[in-house]
Amino acid sequence: MTVDPVGSARSQTAPERIGQQSELYARAGALRRLARDSVALVAGLILALFLLVAAFAPLVAPYDPYFTNMSKVIRPPDTLHWFGTDNAGRDILSRVIYGTRNTLLMGLAGVIIGGILGGVLGILAAFYRRLEGLIMRLVDIMLAFPAILIGLAVAAIFGAGILAVVIALVIATIPDVARVSRGAAVGVMAQEYMEAGRAVGLSDITLMWRYLTLNCISTIFVFLTLRFGQIILISSVLGFLGMGAQPPTAELGMMAAQGRDFLFMAPHIAVIPSLAIFIIVLAANLFGDALRDVLDPRLQE
Amino acid sequence: MGRQIIHRLVISVPALVGVLFLCFCLMQVAPADPATIIAGPDARKETVEAIRKDLGLDRPILLQFANYIGRIAQGDLGRSIISNKMVVDELAQTIGPTVELMFGAMLLAVPFGLLLGVLAAVSRGSILDRLIMAISVAGVSMPVFFIGLLLIQVVGYRWGLLPFTGRTGPVWAGGLPNLILPAVTLGSILIGPIARITRTAMLEVLSADFVRTARAKGLRERVVVTHHALRNALIPVVTLIGLQAAFLLGGAVVTETMFSWPGVGRLAVGAIISSDFPTAQGAIMILAVSFLAINLIVDVLYVYLDPRVQRE
Repeated sequence: MTVDPVGSARSQTAPERIGQQSELYARAGALRRLARDSVALVAGLILALFLLVAAFAPLVAPYDPYFTNMSKVIRPPDTLHWFGTDNAGRDILSRVIYGTRNTLLMGLAGVIIGGILGGVLGILAAFYRRLEGLIMRLVDIMLAFPAILIGLAVAAIFGAGILAVVIALVIATIPDVARVSRGAAVGVMAQEYMEAGRAVGLSDITLMWRYLTLNCISTIFVFLTLRFGQIILISSVLGFLGMGAQPPTAELGMMAAQGRDFLFMAPHIAVIPSLAIFIIVLAANLFGDALRDVLDPRLQE
Repeated sequence: MGRQIIHRLVISVPALVGVLFLCFCLMQVAPADPATIIAGPDARKETVEAIRKDLGLDRPILLQFANYIGRIAQGDLGRSIISNKMVVDELAQTIGPTVELMFGAMLLAVPFGLLLGVLAAVSRGSILDRLIMAISVAGVSMPVFFIGLLLIQVVGYRWGLLPFTGRTGPVWAGGLPNLILPAVTLGSILIGPIARITRTAMLEVLSADFVRTARAKGLRERVVVTHHALRNALIPVVTLIGLQAAFLLGGAVVTETMFSWPGVGRLAVGAIISSDFPTAQGAIMILAVSFLAINLIVDVLYVYLDPRVQRE
């Protein structure tokens, strides 16, 4: 990024700083409103709990998730193994903890990489009107395919694995983010300060980053939060189909698929990981909805 | 209207070429060289070269792609590496069950979703409304396979009410019991979104002037809701159902795999796992193309249903 001395001086003018401050106050108020919404609060806490457990999986997990014990196969939940053991005698609680870690990591990778790429595309489309047609057509084409199908195709070409799932999640995230960020950026483009920035001779990159991107980022962030649940759902479905993490790696979707073979004698092996996915996605959806209502009601359909 | 349709068609072409190119790439990454396989293990180098030339494998990649499209146009998708059957024949056998499953799911989800949405809208703010919305959020957050697992475990196995593996034949030939559980599984992912959008659309319409007029005329509430409000609320619902075709197609892949339903999705998953590239390529192609076709039909239908769209 080229540093434009005029640009940096300009962007620190007093009125703008005041603008930023009032924005900050607005945010603080929004957070307080979010905390007052009991559903959002509970959903946020659950989500935070899952994130913490995933982040500190090695410390939290009571057993090694890959340690097999053939003398303790398919045990129902008891005091030693809260969620029971699976067909290889592995502790299901520990596997769910590590599985949550892998599932969330894949989802985050997909949302972050896809969010950046989609955001760049959307902002480029809004800034350079000449590129708009090309970019949005590309986005339309990407939007034309269901994520599961993209996952199948990627897995067929590169082979099943975590990488295939992440690529599919990225491709599934890009088009929607590109549309949303373009929409937000077009609004910012009409602002007078864009024209002013251009008039004082700021470079395109400075204009795009400092003026355009930073003003669109909260919209993009809220949208990504909203999408996160769906992305987790897609990744777990791909895992269930065997397109994602391969055994013995712990991943929630794949664990549910493996438990399918023991569904009649020991339903808990399949049900517990499925339930974990359900709770994560539900919490993410509820939290995302509440965040949108507070921060960016325009995204509401 | 004609222009709109042509515009949609023109947009669909690059998407179609993209799909075909992807499928073509799939054939390129197949680890084995087709010429070596055909020539056999003891063939001389010259023979392999001759076969390569014969198959056109020595030509530039774009030319090969053109040839590939030509072959597809003639209905030649190659042979399965595993079963040695023509891929086209395999697809012809599996497409019927997939369509049947998707129709079954729609048939369950659309009326049920509409009913829930209307109920929630007319009793806005009540416990019933909140309950229906909670169910709909839960439904959207539920992985398809979880619903399927629960139905198989409880309804199929524990209660022994319905079969849950395979397909015995078409619905009119006694295949209905086998269709029910997969269709319920697939349909359940659609109910939530349909109920939600119906509620929003109904609330908007219920506060419109013509509804007030209808009430003022002294029409019964039931007539106002079904004849005046619901009809006008249907447009966004139809769009949503079209958009959800994507969702449904993805869900069909999972549902078919779980219930051993002999459809295209299960064919695709099986082919990818066993590295049967020709079959995988054919199945993915047919899924993608039918998806494009559904989108196109929905767009056209939309313009037809709501003439206001044209002017935009």
